[in-house]
Amino acid sequence: MKISQKITRKLITLALIVILSAIFAATTSSFLKLINIQEILRVAAYTGIICVGVSFVLISGGIDLSSGGIICFTGIICCRLAVLGLPWPLVVLAAVVVGAACGFLNGWLITRFYLNDFITTLATGFVFSGFGLLAIAKEPSGTVMSQTIRNRGFLMLGKHVGGFYYIVIAWVVLTLIAWFVQTRTRYGLHTCATGSNAKSSEMSGVNVRRMKVMNFTICGACCAIGAAFTVAYQQTAYLSLGSGMGFDAVAACVVGGVMLGGGKGDAIGAFLGAVFMTIVTNGMRKYGLDTSWQYVFEGAVILIAIMSDAGFAVVSARRLKAISEKNANEEALMEAQKGGGAQ
Amino acid sequence: MSEELILRTENICKSFNGIQVLKNVNLEIRKGEIHALMGENGAGKSTIIKIITGVYTKDDGEIYIDGQHVVIDNRHDAAEAGISVIYQELSLVPELTVTENIFLGHEIMKRGLPDKKEMRRQVQALIDRYGFLLRPDEVVATMGMAQRQMCEILKALSTEAKLLIMDEPTTSLSASETEQLFVTMEGLREKGTSILYISHRLEEIYRVTDRLTIMRNGEVVGVVDSRTVQADTVTAMMIGHELEKTGVRVPNVNHDHCIEVKDLSLGNLLHNVSFKAYGGEILGIGGLVGSGRTELVSCIYGAVKNYKGSITLDGKPVSRSVAKNIRAGFGMVPEDRRTEGFFPQLSILRNIVISSYDRLSSLGFVRAGAESGHAEKAIADYDVRPAMKKLPLQNLSGGNQQKVILARWLSRDVDVLILDEPTVGVDVGVKAELYVYMRRLADKGAIIIMVSSDLAELTEVSDRVLVLHGGTFFQEFRDHKATQQAVLLASSGVAAKEGEVL
Repeated sequence: MKISQKITRKLITLALIVILSAIFAATTSSFLKLINIQEILRVAAYTGIICVGVSFVLISGGIDLSSGGIICFTGIICCRLAVLGLPWPLVVLAAVVVGAACGFLNGWLITRFYLNDFITTLATGFVFSGFGLLAIAKEPSGTVMSQTIRNRGFLMLGKHVGGFYYIVIAWVVLTLIAWFVQTRTRYGLHTCATGSNAKSSEMSGVNVRRMKVMNFTICGACCAIGAAFTVAYQQTAYLSLGSGMGFDAVAACVVGGVMLGGGKGDAIGAFLGAVFMTIVTNGMRKYGLDTSWQYVFEGAVILIAIMSDAGFAVVSARRLKAISEKNANEEALMEAQKGGGAQ
Repeated sequence: MSEELILRTENICKSFNGIQVLKNVNLEIRKGEIHALMGENGAGKSTIIKIITGVYTKDDGEIYIDGQHVVIDNRHDAAEAGISVIYQELSLVPELTVTENIFLGHEIMKRGLPDKKEMRRQVQALIDRYGFLLRPDEVVATMGMAQRQMCEILKALSTEAKLLIMDEPTTSLSASETEQLFVTMEGLREKGTSILYISHRLEEIYRVTDRLTIMRNGEVVGVVDSRTVQADTVTAMMIGHELEKTGVRVPNVNHDHCIEVKDLSLGNLLHNVSFKAYGGEILGIGGLVGSGRTELVSCIYGAVKNYKGSITLDGKPVSRSVAKNIRAGFGMVPEDRRTEGFFPQLSILRNIVISSYDRLSSLGFVRAGAESGHAEKAIADYDVRPAMKKLPLQNLSGGNQQKVILARWLSRDVDVLILDEPTVGVDVGVKAELYVYMRRLADKGAIIIMVSSDLAELTEVSDRVLVLHGGTFFQEFRDHKATQQAVLLASSGVAAKEGEVL
């Protein structure tokens, strides 16, 4: 049976997840415990929801490193509003609106002033974290005050039902919606086309600037959703919320086969990438390796992922070259026959 | 031998993928002459230059410099032999001064530091010797294009170049800058430097060169004295004998359905261009590369928006948004399909349907069945091979890629189709097919505008030809009256007798 490259890439990630899980399960006593699996899923869901948003930006050929800043800012907003006693749908809505506005700002800056998205989102990430610091509750003396959320409705978001945290359910739902949008709607296909070749897209009638702005906006909104669930789970928000997530989410997407530079990948790949990265981190911790080694392994995983993608490209290029050569030969033959017929 | 030769090539041959692009090319350039090289696109001019300068390696033949047999395997060998190329895209670093640029990479060192004084002295000596209007300490970014070119030439001379190769050096120069360059070239000739000059512009060939070598289909077809030769003779040699006309199509022109361009101006490129393109007719637009042809059609399509003037379709203004124009029935096959036309990693299917989601989706949801049906029909109708709709487009041959892009528009029955160099890199068989599809669309009453540098294509396929020169229409050829020679002359600014001047 012929399986498309898209599916092969996902099966490989899935197989690696299974193999790695089996190794960790066999060599550590606590990996396979229900509570650990719940924890893995919860952590993966946090990264995964961000990855959903980041995958949109990556597929459209951009990159967003400001997710950490947006998470910090919107998380702190959630905390403040929840402490005020607002009902949870309003709190989440407010966070999503602010997150989307942050994303929109990214997209607008990049398309309006023709900026490089890497540097722009790196810069706005700092700005958004700064907004977080401005928004956080402070003592009259100016020092940061830690607030504990007692808003029952909001805290519900951090709980679980039937063993599944709500954030995990949200993650799965968001991933499926994103996957559908990316592969089955005009919007998603225009996003993919923009990432594949922006100039061609423009000449084909795709509004490239609008696509870019929209995708950054979606990414900002996803960050806010991830932040809301995480703040509800931790019952408070703090300044380091979301730090490092900008890079982690991009890395997880890349591991899941979403190509940097655009045009390839989808939310399912990003989902698998998030699971994989979380399992690696969790397993390392089970081995008792300290953080430095975790970093080394995470970095190595990303390198291996992009190297294998490059290898993938070489192999498939060879295979397809063979097809097109065969095709060219047939054409030449036809040409010769035509010429022969005319004489 | 009466004259001393600086460069002589003997029976140079070169093939790419089994296709012979150079056949026994013998080129002779004398000491202290400005020698022109002309030929149509694809005649082999740039290939022979690239062999002489070591970019390509020859399959067969010999190169002699100053009577000495030399082996040129890479650019370094060429520089060693005294051959220097002045690139169109200048290779100067704008932030550095003239002196710094000239010695970039081979600075004169003194106690581990660059010896600025000595380098400056040497540059000044060079400037004095050749009488250039340059100052050694001037920063390149502050200089005009002509001065930059002089600096580039100076850089070549500093490495003791005996032969300078200039490939269309005047394309980015204004008239007075061009004249300045010619004076510089004449100065160099007096000092004994030889120049190989490549240009499409006949008036420049007359103005500055001594002899002219003409190439066609990879062969040298003649060497003439460029001061006395007739323009007709040159163009006849470039084209070869006229090709037989293959079945002239009688267009059914609908004068009520037309695109009218009125007083269109765009920066320095286009000045008050006005014309009409009618339904049922294939309108060809000729002119040299860089004459503004591509920009003109991009304005009509809405891809270039900052033009002055008006463009109307049946009396209604044409939008400056590509997306709106596509919905109104426009389509465009851009000049460079790689950068503007296709999506390399995406499938044939996606490449075909990308502009048709207005029909293939409801409320933003793609109807998968309609999408693949549309693509399958287009693949069959326009004979895309291989007929594998999931195959990434980058794996198709050039001709089939072009068919896919044409199918993108033809499959949605466009009303206005703009084609910019539609058959570049397309082999002969596919070319003929593309023409059939274009004619079929014209027979249905659509407006077709085709820009082309391929003279045979322009004169055979178009029902009417307009030639751009100097940013405006120079000449119009109606009712298939365009001949390759007349179009070529008009492109270089020489009016032919037959056509009607606008």
